[in-house]
Amino acid sequence: MVGLNNSGKSTIVSLLKSDGDRNSEIVPTIGLNIEHFRYQQVLFTMFDMSGQGKNRYLWERYYKNCDGIIFVIDSSDRLRLAVAKEELNLLLQHPDISGRKVPILFLANKMDVREALSSVKIANAFGLEKIKDKPWHIFATSALTGEGLQNGIEWFTEQLSQSDLNN
Amino acid sequence: MAPVSKRDKKEEEEGGNIFQNLDKTSVLQDARTFNDTPVNPRKCTPILTKILYLLNQGEQLGTTEATEAFFAMTKLFQSKNAVLRRMVYLGIKELSTLAEDVIIVTSSLTKDMTGKEDLYRAAAIRALCSITDATMLQTIERYMKQAIVDKNPSVASAALVSSLHMSKTAGDVVKRWVNEAQEAINSDNVMVQYHALGLLYHIRKTDRLAVNKLVAKLTRMNLKSPFAVCMLIRIACKQLEKDGGDYADSPLFDFVESCLRHKSETVTYEAAAALVNLRNTTARQVAPAVSVLQLFCSSSKPVLRFAAVRTLNKVATTHPPVVTSCNFDLENLITDSNRSIATLAITTLLKTGAESAVDRLMKQIASFVSEISDEFKIVVVQAIRALCLKFPRKHSTLMTFLSAMLRDEGGLEYKASIADTIITIIEDNPEAKEIGLAHLCEFIEDCEHVSLAVRILHLLGKEGPKTIQPSRYIRFIYNRVILEIAVIRAAAVSALAQFGALCPDLLPNILVLLARCQMDTDDEVRDRATYYYHLLKLQEKGLIFNYIVDPMQVCLVSLEKSLAQQVHDKVPTKFDLKSVPPAPVVSTTEDTAKETIPEGSISSAPNRIVPVQSTVSSYAEKLQGVPGLQSIPGTLFHVSEPIELTESETEYVVTCTKLTYPHHLVLQFECKNTLSDQLLENVRVQIEASEGYRIVKEIPIPKLPYNETHCAYVVLQFPEQLSLTVTNFGATLRFIVKDCDPSTGIPDADDGYDDDYMLEDVEISISDQIEKVSMDREAFDRAWEAASDEDFTESEDTFNLPGMSGLEQAVTKVVKFLALEPTGLTKVSERSSFTLCLPGMFRGGVEVLIRAKLAVANNGVSMQFTVRSAHSDIAELICAAVG
Ligand SMILES: Nc1nc2c(ncn2[C@@H]2O[C@H](COP(=O)(O)OP(=O)(O)OP(=O)(O)O)[C@@H](O)[C@H]2O)c(=O)[nH]1
Ligand SMILES: [Mg+2]
Repeated sequence: MVGLNNSGKSTIVSLLKSDGDRNSEIVPTIGLNIEHFRYQQVLFTMFDMSGQGKNRYLWERYYKNCDGIIFVIDSSDRLRLAVAKEELNLLLQHPDISGRKVPILFLANKMDVREALSSVKIANAFGLEKIKDKPWHIFATSALTGEGLQNGIEWFTEQLSQSDLNN
Repeated sequence: MAPVSKRDKKEEEEGGNIFQNLDKTSVLQDARTFNDTPVNPRKCTPILTKILYLLNQGEQLGTTEATEAFFAMTKLFQSKNAVLRRMVYLGIKELSTLAEDVIIVTSSLTKDMTGKEDLYRAAAIRALCSITDATMLQTIERYMKQAIVDKNPSVASAALVSSLHMSKTAGDVVKRWVNEAQEAINSDNVMVQYHALGLLYHIRKTDRLAVNKLVAKLTRMNLKSPFAVCMLIRIACKQLEKDGGDYADSPLFDFVESCLRHKSETVTYEAAAALVNLRNTTARQVAPAVSVLQLFCSSSKPVLRFAAVRTLNKVATTHPPVVTSCNFDLENLITDSNRSIATLAITTLLKTGAESAVDRLMKQIASFVSEISDEFKIVVVQAIRALCLKFPRKHSTLMTFLSAMLRDEGGLEYKASIADTIITIIEDNPEAKEIGLAHLCEFIEDCEHVSLAVRILHLLGKEGPKTIQPSRYIRFIYNRVILEIAVIRAAAVSALAQFGALCPDLLPNILVLLARCQMDTDDEVRDRATYYYHLLKLQEKGLIFNYIVDPMQVCLVSLEKSLAQQVHDKVPTKFDLKSVPPAPVVSTTEDTAKETIPEGSISSAPNRIVPVQSTVSSYAEKLQGVPGLQSIPGTLFHVSEPIELTESETEYVVTCTKLTYPHHLVLQFECKNTLSDQLLENVRVQIEASEGYRIVKEIPIPKLPYNETHCAYVVLQFPEQLSLTVTNFGATLRFIVKDCDPSTGIPDADDGYDDDYMLEDVEISISDQIEKVSMDREAFDRAWEAASDEDFTESEDTFNLPGMSGLEQAVTKVVKFLALEPTGLTKVSERSSFTLCLPGMFRGGVEVLIRAKLAVANNGVSMQFTVRSAHSDIAELICAAVG
C-alpha cells in the first residue's frame, strides 16, 4: 500500500483490521508497518509504506514480491496531486512492476472532505485510462466513515484470486 | 527451531559445531527465503541464526549484502511467531550499523514496543534504539519516556539501558528524560533501580553539585537493589576523591563505611574494596574494610576469596599496611586449589614480603606456573618486576626465573611484559645488565613476535656497546640479518651500526657486515645498510654522533610539510631544521603516573607507538583551512590543552586553546550556543592584551545557531621583551543576539541587539612557549655538559615548595607546571631527594635544559632550579616563571 504521506493509508489499514485489533492512535509512519489480517474471509498481508518524501524511494524495495498494489490518494489535497501522479509514474515504470500484471486499486480517499475531487476527476488527472497492461479501478473512499472501502477491497480480492488462477 | 536431523545430531554428540563450515555466500543466498509468502518460521529461524553466528565470528558483510539481508529480514515482521520475531530484533541490532536505510523498521518496532505482546517489548526497544540516530530520536522520544516508567521491569530496564547508549550520540535529548529516570529509581525491581541510577548519574555527572545532591538523597533513601548500592558506592568514592582532603566527618565516607555492614555480600565487598582504594586514608579509617577482606579470605566461597585476594594484590604497593595485616590469611591461600587465588596470594606476598621470603615464594610459584593462564602469568611478572626494583641483589634468581618463562609458550602481551620487565631491570640495575642482555639475545634467537624482536634489537644496539665485551652481541644480531623477515633485518642493521659507532675496535668488522647487508633483497634494509656504511666509513665523530648515536627527532609530519612549503615558496631561503617542532612525546607520566610511579616501573620503551599525526600537525592542518590564519609566518610550534573559560552548564560555553608560533600566539575560542531561542551573530572574544602584546588580527564567527560549536580566533604578536610574555588577558565574549523561534531557529526580527558575557581570564604561561623533547637520561647529561661553555647561560634559583606532602607530589607539580617530559623517572617515592631533568625547546627553536634538584625539607620540599639555554633571556624567564 503506497501513496503520499497524510493520504490515510494507515487509517485505512486500521479500519480493515477486526475491531479488537485496531491501532489505538495513528501517527505518521516511519519506514513501514506490516499488518497481517483477515478481511471478509481473505487473509491479507499489507505492507503499509511511509509516504513521506524522503522515504518514498524505499517503496521499490517491496515491489518484487507483491501480488497487488493499493495506491491511496488524498483527494482533498489538490496541491500535491501532481506529486502523487509523478510517484505513480515512477511506480509504473519500475522494472519490478512494469512487465507484470499486478492489479492496482486506487483509493480516492477523504471523499468526506468538502473540497475533495471526485474519483472521475482524479482518474482523468492521473491519466489512468492509459494503463492498459494491468487491471485497475478507482473508488472514492472515506477512512473516517468507511464508505467505499468495502467495494474497493471486494474488487481487489476478485482481481487477486483471478491472477492466482492464471498462474 | 528446526528439528535437528540425524546427521546433525551425530555431529553434536561428537562435539562438532553444526555451524562450523558455514559459508557466507550460501547463507545469504538462503536468506532470500525470507521473501517467500507466507513466511515459514521453521525455515527462517535457523537461517537467521546462521547469519548472526557468522557476524559474531567476525565475518564482514559489504553494505549491499547487509542491506539486502536487512530488507529481506523486514519481511519477517508478517509472521507472528515469537521466536522468529525475537531473532529478527537481534538481526536488526547486528545489521543496524552495516546496512543502509535501517530506519525502515522504525514504525514496526514502535508498534511492538508499545503493543500488547510483552515478549516483544523490551527487545523491540533495544532494536529501535540501535537504528535511531540523534535526528530521529525526537520522533520516538514520547515512547521512550513512557517505557522508562513502564510497569514491566524488563521494558523499563531495556529503555533505561538504551537511553544510556543513546546519550552518547544524543545527550541533549536524553537529558530531558531525567524526570522519568527519577521515577524509575523508586522501582521495586533491583535491575530497574540499578539502571535508573546509571542513567541519572550519567546525565548529571558533569555537574558536581547535582551529583552531590543526588548522592545525598539516595544515601538517605535506603536503596533496595544491591547493584544500585554498589554503583552508589562508586559514585560516592569518585566524589570523595574529587573533593580531596579529609574524610573525617564526610557523610559520603560514612555512607561507604556503613555499607560494610550491608546484608548483601556484593555490597560489603564493594564497600571494602572502595575504602582500601581511596587515597589519603588513615590506617584507622581503612581498618574495618581490611577486616572484611580478611574475613573473605577464609570464606568457603571461592568467589569471595578471589575477590578479596585480588583487591589486596592491587593495593599491595599503595597501602602496604593493609596487606601486611592480612599476611597470615594470604599464607593460607598459597596452596588454594584454585590456581588463580594461589597466584594472587603469592604475588601479593611477594610485593610486601621481606627479602628472605622471596626464594621460598618463587619456588611455590614455579611449581604451578605452567598451569595458569597468560593473564595470571602477567600478574606474576609484574610482581617480579616490583621485587627486582626493591631487592636488587635478588636479580639473578628472578632473572633466571623470567628467562625460563620467556622460553615457555605464551602470547605477545605476556612475552612483552617479560621483556619489559627485563629491560626495566637492566636500566635500573647496572649489575644485571650483562645477564639480562644475554637472556634477551637468547630469546630473539627463537621469537615469534616481530614487534618484540625489533624492540630488543634496538635495546641491544643502545646497551650492548656499553658493556665490557660488546663483540659477543654481534653474532646474535647478525644472525637475525641472515634468518629473519625484512622488518627485523632492518632493525638488526640499525643495531649493528650502533656498535660501529661506539666501539672503534669493532668498526672494521661492522663495516664488512654492513657491506654484506647492502646486498639484501629488501629496499629498507639495503638503504639503512648503505646509509650507515657510508657514515661510519667517514669516521667523523660529530657526524656519527649526530646521525647514528643520537639522531634528531623531529615531528615527521611537520617536517614533510615544511619541506613541501620550502619547495613551493618562490623566495629561496635557507631551510632551518630547528623551525620544525620536535617529535611528539608520548607521555608516560600524565595518564599512567598514578599507576606506575609507585610501582617504579617507567621504562624508556624505545619503540613506543607514536601517533601518526601529532596534535601539533593535525592542528596545523586545520588552521591552514581558516582564512586569515595562513599568513602567520613560521610553522605551528605548540598547542596547549583546551581551557574552559566558562562554567559548564552555562548559556554560552567557551574553551580556549593556545596555539604558539615562533613569534605569534593564536588564541582559538571554541564557542557553543546552548540557548535554543537565540541566534548569535558576529561572535568574537575581546581580549585586553597586556603590555607588549599586539593584537594582529581578530576572526569572528559570523553566525552561531543553537547547539552549534564554532571557533573564533585572535592572533597576537609576542612582546619583544620576553619577561612580558607570561601574563593574563581579560576576556569578554561579544555578540549580537537575535531572538528566534526555538523550533525552527529562524529569527523573529531582522535586527538584534548587542550583548556580552564575561569570561575567565586567559592565562599565558611559560609552558605555552616550550615544547616537550624526548631524551633519555644519558643524552640529557651529555647535552647538559655541552651547555656549560660560554655560548650558554645558566640561571639558577632555590625555592621552597611548602605544603607538599612528598617528593612525588612535588615532581608531579613541577612537571605539570612546565608541561615537559621528564627523563628517566623512577622510584620517586622511595627517595628523600631527586633530580628531575626536563629537556625542552623554546619557540623559535632554542634548546632549553632544566634541572630541578628536589629534596624533602622539614616543612615541605626544597628545590634548586637550574636552567641552561643559549639565550639568557629565556633562561631567566623560565626561572622567574617558576618562582
Ligand atoms: N477527513 C478525513 N481524514 C482522514 C481520512 N483518512 C485519514 N484521515 C486523516 O489523515 C491523517 C493522516 O492519516 P494516516 O493514515 O496517518 O496517513 P498515511 O498515509 O498513513 O501517512 P504516512 O504514514 O505519513 O505516509 C490522519 O489525521 C487521519 O485521521 C479520511 O478519509 N477523511
Ligand atoms: Mg502511515
